[in-house]
Amino acid sequence: MAANYWASTQRRHWLFSREKLAEIRDNFRERDKVAHTQFPLPDQRLLNIYFSQQLIKLGKRMSTRQQALATAQVYVKRFYTKNEIRHTNPYLVVTTAFYLACKMEECPQHIRFVVGEARGLWPEFIAPDVSKLGECEFSLISEMNSQLIVHHPYRTLSELQPELSLTSDEVALAWSVINDHYLTDLPLLYPPHVIAVMAIIVAVVFKPSQTSFHGSAAPLASAMRDGGMNILAALGDKNGNAPPARIQRLIAWLGESEVDIKAVIECTQELVSLYEVWEQYSEKHCKELLGRMVKSKNLDK
Amino acid sequence: MFGKSFPFYNSLGGFYPRGNGFPSPGTCRFRLSLDARKPPGTGYTSKVRVRDRYHIVGFISSGTYGRVYKALGKNGQKGEFAIKKFKPDKEGEIVQYTGLSQSAIREMALCSELDHPNVVQLAEIILEDKCIFMVFEYTEHDLLQIIHHHTQQQRHAIPALMVRSILFQLLNGLLYLHTNWVLHRDLKPANILVTSSGAIRIGDLGLARLFYKPLNSLFSGDKVVVTIWYRAPELLMGSRHYTPAVDLWAVGCIFAELLSLRPIFKGEEAKMDSKKTVPFQRNQMMKIIEIMGMPTKEIWPGLVSMPEYSQLQSLAMSRAPGHFNRSSNLEVWYQNCLKNNGYSANSSAGTPGADGFDLLSRLLEYDPTKRITAQEALEHPYFKNGGPISANCFEGFEGKYPHRRVTQDDNDIRSGSLPGTKRSGLPDDSLLGRATKRLKE
Repeated sequence: MAANYWASTQRRHWLFSREKLAEIRDNFRERDKVAHTQFPLPDQRLLNIYFSQQLIKLGKRMSTRQQALATAQVYVKRFYTKNEIRHTNPYLVVTTAFYLACKMEECPQHIRFVVGEARGLWPEFIAPDVSKLGECEFSLISEMNSQLIVHHPYRTLSELQPELSLTSDEVALAWSVINDHYLTDLPLLYPPHVIAVMAIIVAVVFKPSQTSFHGSAAPLASAMRDGGMNILAALGDKNGNAPPARIQRLIAWLGESEVDIKAVIECTQELVSLYEVWEQYSEKHCKELLGRMVKSKNLDK
Repeated sequence: MFGKSFPFYNSLGGFYPRGNGFPSPGTCRFRLSLDARKPPGTGYTSKVRVRDRYHIVGFISSGTYGRVYKALGKNGQKGEFAIKKFKPDKEGEIVQYTGLSQSAIREMALCSELDHPNVVQLAEIILEDKCIFMVFEYTEHDLLQIIHHHTQQQRHAIPALMVRSILFQLLNGLLYLHTNWVLHRDLKPANILVTSSGAIRIGDLGLARLFYKPLNSLFSGDKVVVTIWYRAPELLMGSRHYTPAVDLWAVGCIFAELLSLRPIFKGEEAKMDSKKTVPFQRNQMMKIIEIMGMPTKEIWPGLVSMPEYSQLQSLAMSRAPGHFNRSSNLEVWYQNCLKNNGYSANSSAGTPGADGFDLLSRLLEYDPTKRITAQEALEHPYFKNGGPISANCFEGFEGKYPHRRVTQDDNDIRSGSLPGTKRSGLPDDSLLGRATKRLKE
């Protein structure tokens, strides 16, 4: 069903276990050891940060809504569970995912315009011929079995806002946590409502004191660890010291909602490790490695 | 017997675990052209070929999207299928990848998710030779063809019980779509498919879209929706933010057409001008007013804020005072319809009766906020009273409907492109292969 996550293709076909995901990636490595040795790539999350920043640049000129960018990021992830990245031109894949996501999210852009914008950003990697993108669209749709409807955590967040009386600051912070989760494997590992609950916990437990979330990853990461412990402690030990009322209320809601707490905590940890690895991020490094790969393998032809 | 086809629906939006009762992960309905890569790069070649999997029997119909063919499964695959081929943008010239239409994308994505006994079943999608082939279950009939059959030779009414079963199944499918935030936006007799065992399947989701918190207004996405005769008054009045109620107006029109065997509001479409501005559909609005009376702000408070309100006023002024009734003539229309078509308690056709009228008048309610919803309609006395409803709309029916017309050659251009029909166009040699070419020579 199109708007019911439980019956969706996302739940039935695009939810992986960590083990399964690791196995898929190991298989890629096994099948083309040469390429993996010859063209080392940064940590998947760092690549995701790079792709996400490229997508934001692409979307900016067309004032694309965040949800379309999120859908595009999910398409890229799904595509790379079926294809070895070293056999593709990632710039073309990202542009095509963007083009397709805009149509799916009902904010379509003309193919010529998208190709024009992409060429403006990455002239060496995008051909002027729109048929390249059109062909890549066939690959994307085919690899995704035409399963193009993506359920995002944003919807659960806005549904829970009144129920949990979230302030607009908390919603904004939760929103940006959701944006960040697309930089990890989480969209392939957990249902959107688990992600939304994780984002709300992060937002409520760590007041949005930091205006910039990403620059100061380390203190945040450690704060989140402590916060995670707080929640764990409160949930585990009912007679312990009472946490602040606001958090208590959230915990009470969590208890009633039957949301998988363990999954929520795993998501929090995943996010913490994203913020830690983020410190190693270098746009230049990603660009160089990808560029060398695409150029020496003629993947842009 | 319809209990199980009502969808599981979680009022929280379906996002919260409920312990059990979830539909189990179904088996994948797809056998798509996987392994479609020819490294390096992102070049595309399909591994699955339509002609390896299906034997094309003939041509069924065509539309703006492309063409539909009847096919038989090959190589161990059993059954009959309808294959919808989306034409590439430019025909004739060398075919290039030009990006898929949004309509094709919507239909592919929605059909891949939807699963309901009253919504057309997708078998698979094949992407091959720059074309999209959507393979659906084959349906022998559709409502347009059934209505047409009853007007032939000895005009005879569609039995009241059959109409009731058709309408119930149609509303049941529509409830499923609306519950899943899908607007159909093109309900009309030609798009309501009927299997040989009397099951109704809502077809052609090419205009359908999700309406959960749209990023842009629905109007800005598609300026014109719904075939003119079935278009709701709020759409004719230029409404920007319409609702599932547009589909229920169309159901009302279909209900009326099943009973009277003609479109109830058969207006003429005003064409778009060269500036691509959407014209006011004056003639269509007039057809509605002739039966439903002139809408007023008393019965439809939102009317005065509609973009085309001034057009409606000038329409009213253009005629002598009293030309248009302020009150509805629908009951007169209904009684005449029953009389002319031989619907009565003693006739073999039976009668939809007073409950039928009440439901019709609630479907053809001017104010979209007051119009009956699919859920409410299914609970209407028309369905509650008068015994069980068969899931086979042909149950107890003696007559036989002709099979769907499948042509082998290109001389079938009989029905043109009237609203409500879409049977025209030429068969496509690329699929039919040499046999057809020889025929043509």
